[in-house]
Amino acid sequence: MTEKDKLKKVGDILLNNAMYIIIAAAVVYIAIMRPAFIKLPSIVNILSLTAAKLPIALGIGGCIVLTGTDISAGRVVGLTACISASLLTTVFKVFPDMASAAPLPLVLLLVIGVGALVGFINGFSVAKFKLHPFIVTLSTQLIVYGIILMYLMRGVNNGQTLSGLSENYRSFITGTLFTIGGVAVPKYVLYSLILTIIMWVIWNKTTFGKNMFAVGSNEEAANVSGVNVMRTIIMVFMLAGMMYGITGFLDGARIASANANTGLNYECDAIAACVIGGVSFVGGIGRISGIVVGVLLLQIIFTGLNFLSVDANMLYIIKGLIILIACAIDMRKYLVRK
Amino acid sequence: MAGQDKKNTPPQRQLRGLYSKVNISVRSLNIIIVVLAAALVVCMAAGVSNAGFSVRFDTVGGTTVESQKRMYGELIEAPDPPAREGYVFDGWYLDQNATRPWDLEKDVVTESVTLYAGWRAQ
Repeated sequence: MTEKDKLKKVGDILLNNAMYIIIAAAVVYIAIMRPAFIKLPSIVNILSLTAAKLPIALGIGGCIVLTGTDISAGRVVGLTACISASLLTTVFKVFPDMASAAPLPLVLLLVIGVGALVGFINGFSVAKFKLHPFIVTLSTQLIVYGIILMYLMRGVNNGQTLSGLSENYRSFITGTLFTIGGVAVPKYVLYSLILTIIMWVIWNKTTFGKNMFAVGSNEEAANVSGVNVMRTIIMVFMLAGMMYGITGFLDGARIASANANTGLNYECDAIAACVIGGVSFVGGIGRISGIVVGVLLLQIIFTGLNFLSVDANMLYIIKGLIILIACAIDMRKYLVRK
Repeated sequence: MAGQDKKNTPPQRQLRGLYSKVNISVRSLNIIIVVLAAALVVCMAAGVSNAGFSVRFDTVGGTTVESQKRMYGELIEAPDPPAREGYVFDGWYLDQNATRPWDLEKDVVTESVTLYAGWRAQ
């Protein structure tokens, strides 16, 4: 190997991993400046927040594998969080006639159903009319937002933040799973773990999962080889919608309130996490483990910047740059692969 | 293709999917990645050197209270209570409906926050 080749190889490694290198350097800097960042409470906090944001990313990952995207995700999370918070509460402002909180499993099924319904509309429009997912999900995003606002105006609520959630709802989600070194790990970490395992099985061990990758890498070829493309696309979007529903259910209790802004911009974080984790916009490429790593890395960097008291305004710019870099690296990896 | 210059390499792969319309060489991408990475580092540095969360006070119709700048994990310095005709001030809240109170002695700043004054009718 010549000197030039070696140099090229080093350059390849540096460029393909530029994001990880920057994040690693930032983490080292933050750990030195704010030692509390790498203490147990902070680590548990990062892992819990990662768990909270994982389901939505797992859902959106499938849409990205189909070379699509889903920008309605955040609003669906908002709607399902509002539905959960309005039914599992002690003050029934949205439904003044209700006397006691609805049963937990029923509400969970309801929000999963709502998510699946939005997902079905997205998937059907994409599959049937060959519309670009961006257009479809942009419109469902707005429609769902309108529904959230109208839902919050129902009863005597008058658009206010929903709070005063029922005790069993809160403890079901944020109750202590176990304590480690005096730091409580909330129960939703377990639920997130279960969802990750389910999604891993779906992606890797089912015909549907294999069809999803086939459609993502080449729709025509998949069609010719007998894959029901339309059904696959609809199911991917429905599955994603269900994940948003679950995220909303978790988020209502996790934040202890829900309003029209709940879930705002969640899809940006989720898409960024997927791209960082190697779910490629090229289509047909991606792994569940990559998504987990992506969500975790984003959470680490943003928790770290928060520790350094970096204002949220700057965080938006940083997020945008991270997405751009991730895309550039994504393209580069695809181009140099032989 | 060992030792070959990039310019002499055969036409590169065509991007597909969401990038199907993108026509860009690896060399340009290299430059883009380096420039964007530098921009990212600069932004992070700017954010760090300009650190501090702003704490704003919305008095919901009362006399104005000056905003503060606080670092992560710090307490908010108790401001002079605002006044409003016909109402008695009863503390700061995280929401406009005054349902989630902010404890000035215990609650620490972890992000930019706006606190709303709670009022009781006189």
